[in-house]
Amino acid sequence: MILLVPSMVIAESPLRNRPRRGGRWLPRLFLALLGLFAVALAAPAAAQEKFVKIGNLTDYNFGTITNLSADRTLASSICIYSAKATPGYNVTAIGDGAGGAFTLAGGGGTLAYEVQWNSLPNMASGTTLRPNVTLTGLLTTALQANCNNGPPSSASLIVLLRATALQAAPSGTFSGVLTIVIGSE
Amino acid sequence: MTRTAFVRFAPVALLLATAAAGTAQAATDGSLGATSTGTVTINASVAPRVQISKLSDVTFSAVDAANPASNSQNICVWSNTSGRKYNITATGNGTSSAFTLASGVLAPAAYTVEWAPTSGATTTTGLTAGSALAGQSTAATSPTCSSGVATSATLVVKMSAASLQGMQAGATYTGVLTLVVAPE
Repeated sequence: MILLVPSMVIAESPLRNRPRRGGRWLPRLFLALLGLFAVALAAPAAAQEKFVKIGNLTDYNFGTITNLSADRTLASSICIYSAKATPGYNVTAIGDGAGGAFTLAGGGGTLAYEVQWNSLPNMASGTTLRPNVTLTGLLTTALQANCNNGPPSSASLIVLLRATALQAAPSGTFSGVLTIVIGSE
Repeated sequence: MTRTAFVRFAPVALLLATAAAGTAQAATDGSLGATSTGTVTINASVAPRVQISKLSDVTFSAVDAANPASNSQNICVWSNTSGRKYNITATGNGTSSAFTLASGVLAPAAYTVEWAPTSGATTTTGLTAGSALAGQSTAATSPTCSSGVATSATLVVKMSAASLQGMQAGATYTGVLTLVVAPE
C-alpha cells in the first residue's frame, strides 16, 4: 500500500501532461519498474510472515530402565518461532514405527512411547500427540528464530515410557527417531 | 618447525574434534520456512526382569500316613528376556536349606518340590534345594498374569508315605519354601 502511493503521485505528476518528446514510454516504463519493485518487495514480506522454525532440540536418552513398574518421562524445552504478528503455529509428530507409530525398535521387539506437547517451556506434561495428527491453535512467545533473545525456549516436548509398555517389551536396547513438523497458523 | 606444524594442524584437529562432538548429538533443528521439521533420537534400554506371583500356602491336614500326599498349584512366572527364559531355585528352611518341616523338638519331616514351566502340568521336574533349574520359559505376557495367560507354571509339593509315617500324630509341622526366579 505504501508503495502504491508514490505511483499515484507519479500518475498525477506534471510529467504525465508534459508535451510528448519521444512518446509517453518513459513514465510508463518508470511505473512498470515501480510496480515490479513493489511486487518484489511485497511478496517476500507476505511469505516471511508465515515462517516458522523449530530449534534447540536434543535427544532423549532414558538409559537402562530397571524399574518396569513406573512410568518414565523425559522433557526438554525447545524453541518454536513464528514470524506472524499473532505467532500461531501447529505441530505434528511422526514416529518411525509402522505408519508413523511412536515405537522404538530393537531388543527383538518394539517399545511403545507417548509424546506430549506443551506450548510453554519447562513443563513435564502436556497435550498427548497422536502420530500424524496435527495439534492446532498453539501460540509461541519466542521473539527470535533461534530464541537468541527474548525467552530462551518457548515450548516443551515430552516423551513418556509407560510402565505397561516397559513390561510388554522384551529386554534389550531400543532406539527410534521422532520427527516434529511445525506449521504456521 | 614444531610451531609451524602446530599452526598447520591445529585447525584440522579442532575441526575433527568438532565433528566428533557433533556425532554425539543426533537431534536436528528445523530451518526457517513455511513449515519447519526437526528430529530427535530416543534411546532406552530395558533391563532383564522376572516375577513370580499367585503363590498359595500349602496345607496337608489329616492326611493318611499310609499314602503319599501331594499338593499342586498353578502359579504365574513372567520373564521379559528373549524367549521369556528363566531359571528357578528352591530352598527350604531346614538345615542347609533342606526341604523339611519342623515341629519343635520333634524330628523334621522331609518334603519334595517339583516344577513345570507350564500351567496344569502332570509331568514335572524335581528340584534340589539350592540348585537352579535352568532353561525354563514362560508363556506369561504380563508380570502378574493380569492379561494373557492366567498362570504359567506348576509347583508341586509332595510328602512321601515314609515321611508322613515319621511324623507325630496331632503335632503341627511348618516350614517355609522360598522360590527364586532369575532371568536367562
